[in-house]
Amino acid sequence: MRSFSEYNPIVIAVWFFSVTGIAMFCNYPWLMAISLAGAVTFFIMRNGLSHGKTHIFFWVLFLILALANPLISHNGKTVLFVMNHNPVTLEATLYGINSAAMIIGVLYLLRSFTQIMTSEKLLYITGALSPKLSLVLSMAMRFVPLFSRQSAKINAAQTAMGLYKDDNIIDDIRGKSRIFSVMVTWALENGIITADSMETKGFGTGRRSQMKRFRFRASDVTFLLCDLVLLSITAAAVGTHSLSFEFYPSISFDSPDMLGTAGLAAYALLILMPMILETVVNHKWKYLRSAV
Amino acid sequence: MLLIRNKNLRNTIKIAVPFVIIPVITILGTLAFDEKKHIIIALAVAVLALLLFAAGFEKKSTGTRRMVIVAVMTALCFAGRFIPFLKPVAALTIITALYLGGEAGFLVGSLSAILSNFYFGQGPWTAFQMLAWGLIGLFAGMLSKPLLKSRALLLIYGFIAGIGYSFFMDIWTVLWYNEGFSVKLYAAALVSAIPYTVSYAVSNVLFLYLLALPFGEKLQRIKVKYGV
Repeated sequence: MRSFSEYNPIVIAVWFFSVTGIAMFCNYPWLMAISLAGAVTFFIMRNGLSHGKTHIFFWVLFLILALANPLISHNGKTVLFVMNHNPVTLEATLYGINSAAMIIGVLYLLRSFTQIMTSEKLLYITGALSPKLSLVLSMAMRFVPLFSRQSAKINAAQTAMGLYKDDNIIDDIRGKSRIFSVMVTWALENGIITADSMETKGFGTGRRSQMKRFRFRASDVTFLLCDLVLLSITAAAVGTHSLSFEFYPSISFDSPDMLGTAGLAAYALLILMPMILETVVNHKWKYLRSAV
Repeated sequence: MLLIRNKNLRNTIKIAVPFVIIPVITILGTLAFDEKKHIIIALAVAVLALLLFAAGFEKKSTGTRRMVIVAVMTALCFAGRFIPFLKPVAALTIITALYLGGEAGFLVGSLSAILSNFYFGQGPWTAFQMLAWGLIGLFAGMLSKPLLKSRALLLIYGFIAGIGYSFFMDIWTVLWYNEGFSVKLYAAALVSAIPYTVSYAVSNVLFLYLLALPFGEKLQRIKVKYGV
């Protein structure tokens, strides 16, 4: 039993793409509500009540996005009131709220995605597409901390030689840019040395292979299959217009038929899957702790 | 894509992909889906362009030295994104493209986007950012001769690239918010993004002005010394 973030990166990525994809390509209000609620719950489940700034930013953005549409778009039959000779309509307001719910839901999901999908996991995925690119990416990642350490060293050396003072702003800027210049030259030279030593060790002679840190286990495959089945049910519902919702010129929709209801249920289940996993894992953990 | 031996043909394809194949997909997509699903087409085009490029890069035997230099420049771009208000990414991408060619420029731009978004947040916009910065590098590589000759032209290119990047990203914003493309919303998005647009354009011009020569010297030196 593993928690969701320990699953194979491909499985995690597929889940995120299916959940956000459906949310982005469907405008059915109930589906938006499910996706927003699920995304927020998932985020809070993983982070507790921290990240207050993120929440505030997202909900302010929600308000801005929801209000932007009725002020810009004047489609719709039901006029609520007139502002600057422009009608503000009920339909445009509801459409704005709907769009905002979609965007904020997806943003929450993506925030979780950024937390879960660490660089090593992404390298595993890009490595499957192009080992060479993934190598360049992983080298660049390794260079970032290396460069900052090297900058500190150069800075210390320059200061020791008395080449600039901190108290004079012009001197300071000149010193900083000198450090940067030294750093870049060193970085390029060091890169060449790295490349040469890679070549002497036989880089590029055979096929690029990759260290496989992640395997597909039975639970990965099960999760992926469930994901795809639920996704196809929802996609079928969206694709056959069972979940169609017209905002303009006036709101019109059919109450969802069998397929539409199934699609909504499948989507709800899809977004709940990782949360179910987390809950089970947490309970198991508590149970094992209490057994000790 | 790059299994083709003939160099001329290869260059033709390189140009044909962004200018011919992608518009064809766009038109087919508009015919196949109803007009509300522009975002699917836009995403598909962006991802496809990136995949084509990745496949081409994978097939080619790029020198190790060149690859490492690309990684170095990408890391510098990533570090540069932490500077408040000013964004040196596009400028560094352009400089790389001038001295190492369009492909290296495309790589530095697109890899910087993916790398820095680990910190700034990944999302569907990652693909568009990768494409936008990548294309800024690719075009700079194509225009490298005139841009290297005249400094004024280089600064103008940087300015246009900054504004173009902002306009490109706003197309994506509108598509995301509104399913279809609406000129009114686009105008509103452009207006609300003016501070960013100005910051992109100004920082491109500023960094190109400040960094083009010293960076150019360094890259030129590496090229002459090691034959990258």
